[in-house]
Amino acid sequence: MMPHRLEISLKPDLFDAEGDGIVKKAQVYFGIHLARVRTIQVATLDVDLSRVQLKAIQNEIFTNPVTQISSFQPLPIAFDWSIWVGYRPGVKDNPGSTAVEAIEDLLGMKLGPGESVYTSKRYCIQCAERTLQDMDRIAGQLLANDIIQQWKIFSRDSWDLEVGTGFIIPKVVLNHHPAVMTIPVDSDASLKKISDQRNLALNPNDIPFIRSYFLSKEVQAARAAVGLTEPTDIELEYISQARSDHCNHNTFQGLFRYRDLSSGREEVMDNLFETCIKAPTLQLKEEHAWVVSVLWDNAGVGRFDQDHYYVITGETHNSPSNIEAYGGAITGIVGVYRDPMGTGKGAGLVMGSYGFCVGPRDYQGELTPRLHPRRLLDGVIEGVRDGGNKSGIPTPFGQVLFHPGYMGKCLVFVTAIGIMPSRLMGQAADQKTTSAGDLVVMCGGRVGKDGIHGVTAASETFSEHTPAGHVQIGDPYTQKKMHDFLLAARDRGLIQFITDNGGGGLSSSIGESARFSNGCEIQLEKVPLKYEGLDQWEIWISESQERMTLAVRPEHVAAFLELSKKHAVESTVVGRYTDSGKLQITYQDKTCALIHMDLLTSGFPQWEFEAEWQPPGRRGLFEPVLTEPRNYNDLLPDILARPNICSKEWICRQYDHEVQGSSVIKPLVGASRDVHSDAVVIRPVLDSPKGLAFSQALLPQYSQIDTYHMTSCTIDEAVRRLIAVGARLDHMGGVDNFCWPDIQYHPVSNPDGKFKAAQLVRSCWALRDICLKYKIPLLSGKDSMYVDGHLPGPYGETHKISALETLQFSTTGVIENLEKCTTLESKLPGDLVYILGTTRNELGGSEYYERFGHTGLNVPRVFPDQFIPLYQALSRCIEQELVASAHGVYRGGIGVHLAMVAMGGNLGMKVHLKAVLGEQADYNHVILFSESAGRFIVTVDPKKKKEFENTFRGLPCACIGEVRENNEFTIEGIEGKILISILIDELKMAWKRPFGDLV
Amino acid sequence: MNPVNVLVLTGYGLNCDHETAYGFQVAGGVVSRVHINELIDGEVGLDDFQIMVFGGGFSWADDHGAGVIQAVRFKTTMGDKILEFIDRGNLILGICNGFQTLVNMGLLPALDLDYRRRSVALTYNDCGNFRDDWVTLKINPASPCVFIKGMGRVELPIRHGEGKFYTDGPTVEKLAQNNQIALQYALPDGRLAGGRFPFNPNGSINDIAGICDPTGRVFGLMPHPEAFNHWTNHPDWTRLRETRLRQGGRMGSELTWGIKILKNAVDFIRAQ
Repeated sequence: MMPHRLEISLKPDLFDAEGDGIVKKAQVYFGIHLARVRTIQVATLDVDLSRVQLKAIQNEIFTNPVTQISSFQPLPIAFDWSIWVGYRPGVKDNPGSTAVEAIEDLLGMKLGPGESVYTSKRYCIQCAERTLQDMDRIAGQLLANDIIQQWKIFSRDSWDLEVGTGFIIPKVVLNHHPAVMTIPVDSDASLKKISDQRNLALNPNDIPFIRSYFLSKEVQAARAAVGLTEPTDIELEYISQARSDHCNHNTFQGLFRYRDLSSGREEVMDNLFETCIKAPTLQLKEEHAWVVSVLWDNAGVGRFDQDHYYVITGETHNSPSNIEAYGGAITGIVGVYRDPMGTGKGAGLVMGSYGFCVGPRDYQGELTPRLHPRRLLDGVIEGVRDGGNKSGIPTPFGQVLFHPGYMGKCLVFVTAIGIMPSRLMGQAADQKTTSAGDLVVMCGGRVGKDGIHGVTAASETFSEHTPAGHVQIGDPYTQKKMHDFLLAARDRGLIQFITDNGGGGLSSSIGESARFSNGCEIQLEKVPLKYEGLDQWEIWISESQERMTLAVRPEHVAAFLELSKKHAVESTVVGRYTDSGKLQITYQDKTCALIHMDLLTSGFPQWEFEAEWQPPGRRGLFEPVLTEPRNYNDLLPDILARPNICSKEWICRQYDHEVQGSSVIKPLVGASRDVHSDAVVIRPVLDSPKGLAFSQALLPQYSQIDTYHMTSCTIDEAVRRLIAVGARLDHMGGVDNFCWPDIQYHPVSNPDGKFKAAQLVRSCWALRDICLKYKIPLLSGKDSMYVDGHLPGPYGETHKISALETLQFSTTGVIENLEKCTTLESKLPGDLVYILGTTRNELGGSEYYERFGHTGLNVPRVFPDQFIPLYQALSRCIEQELVASAHGVYRGGIGVHLAMVAMGGNLGMKVHLKAVLGEQADYNHVILFSESAGRFIVTVDPKKKKEFENTFRGLPCACIGEVRENNEFTIEGIEGKILISILIDELKMAWKRPFGDLV
Repeated sequence: MNPVNVLVLTGYGLNCDHETAYGFQVAGGVVSRVHINELIDGEVGLDDFQIMVFGGGFSWADDHGAGVIQAVRFKTTMGDKILEFIDRGNLILGICNGFQTLVNMGLLPALDLDYRRRSVALTYNDCGNFRDDWVTLKINPASPCVFIKGMGRVELPIRHGEGKFYTDGPTVEKLAQNNQIALQYALPDGRLAGGRFPFNPNGSINDIAGICDPTGRVFGLMPHPEAFNHWTNHPDWTRLRETRLRQGGRMGSELTWGIKILKNAVDFIRAQ
């Protein structure tokens, strides 16, 4: 069969935005000047088609007669260099699969086995004397990533007008006959050896326990009965997955021996999850009627109104994004969207959010990460954009944080919120179970070698047809179809149980769901595959995306499969749930796995950690000796222009934040709609007056001093962000996402492991203490350990880079009447400017100190008993419409955040620092840049002055100035002389300068 | 009073169906969300409806040109049924991805009432990226478009990566002559954007944001009326509320511009 290659391009007179973008990036990123780039879309049809059929496909599907030209011959577009970029075999080619759908539609036929369509691109580059090396750099560092893509470079002279790129068919051919291997367990050593050979990553402490299981008489008898002797590879792979830190959270459930080296105080923390997360949350569940379901399902559930529950969870997707930024991020966001879909009997998605922690975008140091932070950031931004937008789920909130610590491994946080009816067919929708006799159904995508042993596979060498699927590319289109189908099936009562396939694939989704019925029998050969030749263990643990596992009653299965077909979603019965107490897997009627259901929940040894704390003073931290600056007029704009403070509008605008018609408080607010709001508010139920408020905070810089205060300040910021838009403390849920470096001490490879372990313990203490005070149940949470990387240096050496100890804290709140919500920008001239809360001498870890390369010692602290009444008073004021605007004081302090209020309103402002309430805040720079927690800036209609101030009687509340008609931002120092007098436009220009030209 | 039945398409990556259905309910329609396959398989018949909506989203992921594959699917399976639907005096609305689908089917602009020819295109934004923003729109009062009757300056959100309206000079001429250019991107003060970014967010020629067929009963636009279904969707609503409060007033008494567009459609059918 002869393949066909169709090249498609915009008509010559049309502007090529993609090509233009490449010209710009080549110039800015590499200083390589390209005169012109035109992009060509290539569709390689590995399909047997007639001339007539080809013509039809070309005209009806691939060529827009108004804007495009196309040809089955190479398009004659002039170039000095042409770069072809295509996927490696086995990498998800989403456009390729939709092309197949379209062709089958148009021609009313089904493609034969092995027939497929592969998409790729060819760039026609015009430039004066550029070398092959230049082109290879552009290909490898801008157009393609060798982990998932391959490229070919053609010079003008080497180009054959007839042959063009030739035919490159990235088809997966494994030529492998699936086989089950048995593994000897005669000694710990031999099992350890095999564990290492197979990347099983079994914990050495687990090995004796695993052996004792397989050697026990009772187990051996049961195995003999089904023809099994020694453990099979599929069984050990299953145990390895289930025991991994990712799936089992061994670190948080570990035993910590904490020692304070200065006081000598010792404390044993047995299981941080139980003591600092679970216990407080269960206690708060008792106090809050609105907490519906926590700590057991894929996501936490809270009550939105009588008829609806909301569902929330947060995830990270760090390692994959660090290798393939786009693929990692899109897989992350699409993946976290499956958690609400798999919570209770299934929730529909209503919003998502993102958090990116990366190295400095303009990094020019001598370390060479796999992806430069700038390129990595571009990639993760685009991944979340396509994942969210193409799912039809708004992405209204997110944060970006730059720090060299994330050069070793970036952080990509993704958070998902869903809504479900509170009851389905008279039953509670948050409840679900599997029962003996229910069928096990796999729904959605097919199974390939994707994500097997995750990143370890990344180091494998590629042959022409070996799949590179271990780095995945999420497919929001396939998942959106599945999402719509599953909600329809749920509403018809066809679903008994549902969960998603993420880490561990079927092994985890079936293994965990079978615990409810206490057993299952799986016929592995029924699992639909992307290509032949997968071993049984690969099918069982593959992490191929866009899949859910369900329990469906036999009497419902026909209707379920019918509806699935209607929605063009593939669903397959792969086994049934039992109450046998065993998980049994057969492949073509031969048993290849038999595991007792209680094995994974019993008796495995607990991980143990030494934790040694040294207080910051003892670690040599101190307050820098810094006199007051004289030139605040330059200082403030410079602080506003710092990467972690400046405008990130370009990201918000490429994320659809209004789909579903629910947008109430948007990511960008203000007169010019260009200032980042404290939080977002959506109306997830369109005919309801209620709103759902959401926000997040990240303050890892404080970890450099004390992770206890890092954690409490992070939680406090996330709380104030919600209060500022109109939420209340009495309905506030939290989600904790820990990202921590390796905490297991090793004298050589992790010499400061004991300290990092102590930092984790202190962080968990703060999480427990502050959540109990603010009464915030932890609806969901995840931990991602090992955020370290080894980067090559200039002399062939490598450097271990560990990320800052990072906690992302998310908050949700239900707002009774969202028409009362408010935004941060000053609204009208003449309004009074107030600061709520006390400003302390707390510049430790601040943006201000960072500007000068200092860390300091006086890290901000949280005083819940003082803060709570203030927050409650502000909530009342917002409900009574007593404030015109409200904004929290966050990173950068009062100086930065007064500027935000003024820039938002495009109105002048004059304030007096003398009037600011402080404790030991005796200098202007302390008042302006201290990052003390618990503070807000609000503006108030002078007519409401009395009523407003009465609400705050006995609380720290000070009027410090007023909003002005003019365009001037004026700050008067404590001594009464003008410190800052600058035009709002100038402030804004400075604040937008760093990323202002990005789109 | 006879119900006005509205069909809102779902499935295959479409994603604005819920808020579009909600918007038409507020506007007084009786709405059914119908999966594309239910319509094609004939489980649901077009005859029961007077308004058909191709809504926003990423049909077939938009991988080979926004709305292209959806257009192929409809042309090959029920092209004639849709033409009859139009002939019966009914309305078709295409929003964003739906607009892209209508032009790829040839239902728009249908110059000389030829509903099969692709003569205009919606292609990649000049800014080179997907963009979410609110735009000001100038309404053409002389347009036969039934959806925008009695409206002046309008603000709506846009959310697309392929919204640049493009066609050849003579075609634009004709569209202008026939007043088929119903909506154009404008400056906040109401004057035409003149191609200026971000007021014209995608580089559309002649600032074109929406067009109708010669009858005015088939209408496609890039902005999303259904996403302005409540006054609190507007980006300035907290400022407007505060200003109104000072004047002793309250917001939310009148319909949003988004709902008005949908209500015009419902009222038109009702008046038949």
